[in-house]
Amino acid sequence: MASQAHSHESGEVAATKHDEPLMFGAPQLVAIALIGAAALVGATFISGAVPVVAAVVVAALVPKRQGWNVRAPIAAMAGLLAAFVVRNWPAAAGAAEAVQPAETGHLLSWIIWTPIVGAIGILFLPRQSHGALRGTTLGLMVFTLVLSLPLLRATMGRTFHFNEDVAWLPRFGIHYHVAVDGISLWLVLLTAFVTPLATYASFGPIQKRIKDWCFALLLLEGGMLGTFLALDLFVFYVFWELVLIPMYVIIGVWGGTNRIRSTIKFFLYTMFGSVLMLGAILYLGYTYARASGGAPSFDYFELQRLMIPRSAQLWLWAAFTLAFVIKVPMFPVHTWLPDAHTEAPTAGSVILAAILLKLGTYGYLRYSMGLFPEACTEWGANLAGVAVLGGIIYGALCAWKQEDVKRLIAYSSVAHLGYVMLGLFAVTPAAIEGGVLQMVNHGISTGMLFLLFGVIYDRRHTRHIDEFGGLAKPMPMYATLFVVATVASVGLPTTNGFIGEFMVITGTFASNKLGHFNGVQAAGAAIGVILGAIYMLMVVQKMFFGPVTKKENRRLPDLNPRELVSLAPFAMAIFVIGLFPNVLLSQMHGAVERVVDDFDARIEGNPGPRYYDGPIKLAPRRPEAPELGASRPVVAAGEK
Amino acid sequence: MLSLFPPNDYALIAVILGMPLLGAIVNGIWGKRLGNAAVRFMALAAVGVSFAASVVAFVALAAHVRQAEDASMDAHVKLSWTAWEWMHTAGGQGTGTVPIEIKFSIDQLSGVMMLVVTGVGFLIHLYATSYMEKDKGFARFFAYLNLFIFAMLVLILGDNLPLLFVGWEGVGLCSYLLIGFWYENMANAAAGKKAFIANRVGDFGLLCAMFLLVNYTGALDWSGMANGAHNLLHPNMTGPLSRVQLWPLGSGNVYPPGPLHFLNPKTPLTISAATAVSLALLLACTGKSAQIPLYVWLPDAMAGPTPVSALIHAATMVTAGVYLVCRMSFVFVLSPFAMMLVAIVGAATALLAATIAVVQNDIKKVLAYSTVSQLGFMFLGVGVGAFTAGFFHVFTHAFFKACLFLGAGSVIHAMHARVHADDEAQDIRNMGGLRKWLRLTHWTFAAATAAIIGLPLTSGFFSKDEILYRAFVDNPVNPEDGKGFLRKFGTFHIPPVVGPILYGVAVAAAVLTAFYMCRLYFLTFWGEFRGWTVGRPSLLAKQELAGTKHERDHALDAPHDTELEDADETHEHHEEDLSQPGYPPHESPWQMTVPLIVLAAFAVLAGWLNPGFHLPWQAMDHWLHPVFAPVSSAIQVRHANDHEWAERMEWPLALGGIGAFAVGTAVAWWMYIAKRGEPAKAIAQAQPALYQLVLDKWRVDELYDATAIAAVDSLAETSAAFDKSIVDGIIARLTSLVVAASGTILRAFQNGVVHVYAATMVVGLAATGWFFAVPHANATVVDAGNDDYVVTAAPGVGYAYRWDANSDGKPEKADFGADSTLKLHLEPGKSQTVRLEVKNAFGFVGKKSIFVAHPPAQTSSL
Repeated sequence: MASQAHSHESGEVAATKHDEPLMFGAPQLVAIALIGAAALVGATFISGAVPVVAAVVVAALVPKRQGWNVRAPIAAMAGLLAAFVVRNWPAAAGAAEAVQPAETGHLLSWIIWTPIVGAIGILFLPRQSHGALRGTTLGLMVFTLVLSLPLLRATMGRTFHFNEDVAWLPRFGIHYHVAVDGISLWLVLLTAFVTPLATYASFGPIQKRIKDWCFALLLLEGGMLGTFLALDLFVFYVFWELVLIPMYVIIGVWGGTNRIRSTIKFFLYTMFGSVLMLGAILYLGYTYARASGGAPSFDYFELQRLMIPRSAQLWLWAAFTLAFVIKVPMFPVHTWLPDAHTEAPTAGSVILAAILLKLGTYGYLRYSMGLFPEACTEWGANLAGVAVLGGIIYGALCAWKQEDVKRLIAYSSVAHLGYVMLGLFAVTPAAIEGGVLQMVNHGISTGMLFLLFGVIYDRRHTRHIDEFGGLAKPMPMYATLFVVATVASVGLPTTNGFIGEFMVITGTFASNKLGHFNGVQAAGAAIGVILGAIYMLMVVQKMFFGPVTKKENRRLPDLNPRELVSLAPFAMAIFVIGLFPNVLLSQMHGAVERVVDDFDARIEGNPGPRYYDGPIKLAPRRPEAPELGASRPVVAAGEK
Repeated sequence: MLSLFPPNDYALIAVILGMPLLGAIVNGIWGKRLGNAAVRFMALAAVGVSFAASVVAFVALAAHVRQAEDASMDAHVKLSWTAWEWMHTAGGQGTGTVPIEIKFSIDQLSGVMMLVVTGVGFLIHLYATSYMEKDKGFARFFAYLNLFIFAMLVLILGDNLPLLFVGWEGVGLCSYLLIGFWYENMANAAAGKKAFIANRVGDFGLLCAMFLLVNYTGALDWSGMANGAHNLLHPNMTGPLSRVQLWPLGSGNVYPPGPLHFLNPKTPLTISAATAVSLALLLACTGKSAQIPLYVWLPDAMAGPTPVSALIHAATMVTAGVYLVCRMSFVFVLSPFAMMLVAIVGAATALLAATIAVVQNDIKKVLAYSTVSQLGFMFLGVGVGAFTAGFFHVFTHAFFKACLFLGAGSVIHAMHARVHADDEAQDIRNMGGLRKWLRLTHWTFAAATAAIIGLPLTSGFFSKDEILYRAFVDNPVNPEDGKGFLRKFGTFHIPPVVGPILYGVAVAAAVLTAFYMCRLYFLTFWGEFRGWTVGRPSLLAKQELAGTKHERDHALDAPHDTELEDADETHEHHEEDLSQPGYPPHESPWQMTVPLIVLAAFAVLAGWLNPGFHLPWQAMDHWLHPVFAPVSSAIQVRHANDHEWAERMEWPLALGGIGAFAVGTAVAWWMYIAKRGEPAKAIAQAQPALYQLVLDKWRVDELYDATAIAAVDSLAETSAAFDKSIVDGIIARLTSLVVAASGTILRAFQNGVVHVYAATMVVGLAATGWFFAVPHANATVVDAGNDDYVVTAAPGVGYAYRWDANSDGKPEKADFGADSTLKLHLEPGKSQTVRLEVKNAFGFVGKKSIFVAHPPAQTSSL
């Protein structure tokens, strides 16, 4: 907020010429203050009015120079966020439990298939009508966002919701099984929130092959949503790979000069991990068949029952985890990320950073930790060391020395995701909640940073940091939003970044899964706070402060309406999460506790060196697993 | 009045906090459009209303305190207001979740601090409305300044450590933005960044303190932490002590036998959790309050506008560290070692900064180092357990240092009439004799100088004297000493020699303080004016005809009206020939002088709130007593807690402070008035190397550049290079090279020559044939429940099986059969080895032993 004042530094020279400065006196100001106070007081008593008030206030806050084409969407987004906070207020959520909406219909399928079917539909539109293509794409994405909002009305608790379990290939035990819990809920919403914004922002710079672009983005969104919602490992794998193709195309077609090399690198790295995971998935499915004596199954909750001895489990865990850590990415398999980010077009970078990387962290949380707790415990302490040294510290140090701004932000992602992974390795409720929150936070603040950098890239077509300097003067509004994104990335309290980091650090210190090193790792993660400030402030200083050194930068236009509309929701989300994190935390709390309980039940239930030591067998279903689909036989524990 | 707001839902706090925030938002967003008059009104109204509400709250608090005293209850009263629950985290040794609320509270300590921040803040806002009048960024400036007041109030009023951290970082951000306010100058932006990063190093300490505290005490709010503080020493009276291991890193003997084993010392180096928390907090405080080793940012921070230096970098923000130590006193007293370190850091900083201030020539730099030095005195005070005395120095320092900075601003404002380069306008060598023209500024500056150098009966004398006295006699001891397991292990005791040494260092620093402040005062206000030739009116009239009219206009300008419009034309038309006669320096307008007068009055008189010397009225001591009562048992005096001895020592020890004042002032008088600065020049010429070293601030910045910063920098360079060459170069390239190489090799076989293909086919067929000719005995074991296990042999073409369930060499059936499975019954804990023989169609037999174990019964259900 402080830095909003930047926007009035000098960029309004043009504006003040035709806008007479309003000579406000004291009475007018008092009146405004009174009206504002009355609105706020009224809002606290009539909670239903809060979104409306928020929308009106935000619309009024937008500097007058902007027309209603900017104000209306921003106000709508503000109202939406306010409604989101009010409706999900922990106290209010308790009251709403009585009116738990019926979880019927195929809501999740609608969410997944709207973009994918829409992508196919796009193919039938004429290639020349750019307006129709763009409008349809954006409409479908907004529709997906609207579809995902009812998910918020369910009180998530510890269980899965909107369960949908249909036999797909019964002979191989493959079901189309989707459901949502308090963890995937936020990633689904993040996807539905970020994708339309990134898409809208891309409609300026992307001017060739519009149809292909729209197709790729819609397919990408559907794939990501499917990955987060799938609970059948086979379906999960299909979506996981489906994401790869549009991203490959996005970088390869609309990317920078070295795009082919980068896109191949991206593809090979991710593919390498994925194939091993496929092997492990097949092994699990058939092991299940052997243990149950029936058909194979790829259902997550059924496979969770498999008790696998160390010799097999380590390999399976390694295959899954390798796929995930490449996607995250963690040291030393992270180098595809800077290359992919630098060459990707802006929207590609945004989606890659904000959502695609979360597939890896989510995968580790759901599958590696859910299916192989013993192996996770055996290796967790060591991997946490990698997350701290190779992620948080090494990533930050590398980021500091980059001269390409996009590379720098990419390395900062490595550092930020180090926090997420550290939280997951620590396996305490606070750390995992912090980790999940940090996934969302990183999506918002780093997504915003990439979007912001795209703005200047469209004007200057260079990524070299020394090409900029003193930009605060020609582009004050841009500088303001960049500083907001920076403080969020640095983790200043009241922005979202702080909450995640704080919870991960305290949760890590309280962990008993990190061997001797929980204290050292918590302190190491705290060091990242210093390093984050060093590299991000370096960027801000070099880009925005000091005199304007380059002639080309002197007359750069400030944000245009399209850019402003796509950036403002990110800025608002930063403060909404920073101030009201409990809205998110209360929904994910139950799911995270379930994950930790499932994990600990396996670890503590096993004698000896914490591995189940015997022939493969099935344990009972976990208490919170959703009911089986009608077409599925029930297999009791240990039954032949 | 009291019943309007109940103490546990004191919503007036929302007004105190909300007004500055509102001001920041309004000025930040609409500032340019509103015009300067409305911006000024908004900014002043925001802080003014906040101050008025603070006074109301303070009076209410006093009434509640009196009620509690009358009812002889705990007089540590809190007015608190909870906004909403912010988040929750793990705590209490992993046993529970700790909710963290957005909750603010006013108690005796935060109440005083709140009054100082809003009161002094209001005066400085008023001053700035005139000082910054001509600046392009007028609205932006007041938006930041209001935001700063908001953040500072959050810091003070926050009821838990994370919320304090919000304010802590918030003031840091505002400081960053305001130091770099004139961001077009790269040096200003760099100074802002330096301040932010130095503070971040401190924040690292605060984060560490938070996770330690929440884990050991199970809370992060003040009363919760105070209740659980004993857990920082021993979780229960009989159990093991709370120790934090420093070396080897980790806990226990972490390096397994092997090449790293030698790193394990015989006994690991551990400290108590209380010491660890205290040290982490101390690191945080050294960052925010500019103490050794992190003080280097504060002098550079003077790049900001002068009102900012007065408000943020003298009166309020930098004292946050002292406030934090007072607030967390219940942790610090558990670790006498950390207390001693706090005092040593404070005393060392006081002396070091004072030596640097002696030779500086920039008026703001002198005051900056003086601030660092005075903060050192405060840390010395709280470090020896004199929390009230240390905090009282915060209180008096806020007045006299704000007055000094604002006075300096007034002087710079006057100098800017003709001297436009910042460093020259602030150079005391260009001043002198200003008392003739800047009468109000001179008298207020003199009053504040009298206070800081400890002229008896002024505020600075009383507050500093108490610190010196307590430094000599106090002896903090561990209040848990001898309880529980601590009886066996003992606790740290501060060596008796420390007290006198601290006293001596502090007196030396006080002598230097008197000297450099008088030097500053004499050079600025006495002697001849050295800035430019002050001409006769007749000459001036001629000049005006000659077209130097704009010069007069500039005489009224704020120092920084340089055109931000276009970087091309900065400063050029400001070059002036200062040898030409010009108007004399002018006094500032009333908006600037009124705050000076008020602050000067407080600087002289505020000491009587807590004069010490066992006088009957000790308002501050009495007021703060409930806050520090719980820790008072830990603060003993030396000589086996002989209070009579301590009382006898009070008057003799006061001589040190008075003597320091007398000596410092006399030497300065002799040097700069009696001898007109000749001795100073002589000394500088006699010891040029030493003089240069001190002038360069002991080259500490350079030392840091060469060591810590260079180390991190090269580490980063190495990381980046490693990433590029090793990780990306070798790991990635090597993999692709292996793939490419195997492709090349395999390609050699795809040469299109038919008999090579035929040969390959023959080899392949032979291998396949061999595979089928040899039987493969393999089996898997499946737990079928009810202690039954099924061993299944792997199928194969034409296979027949023979089982030997107990491996006694006698198969169950003599002949090979088609039965590929074997059922076993095994009780828990039993195991069995099964022998499997497989015969294939060629009659070859393969054998394998399979070990089947039933794990013992498990306690927990699955």
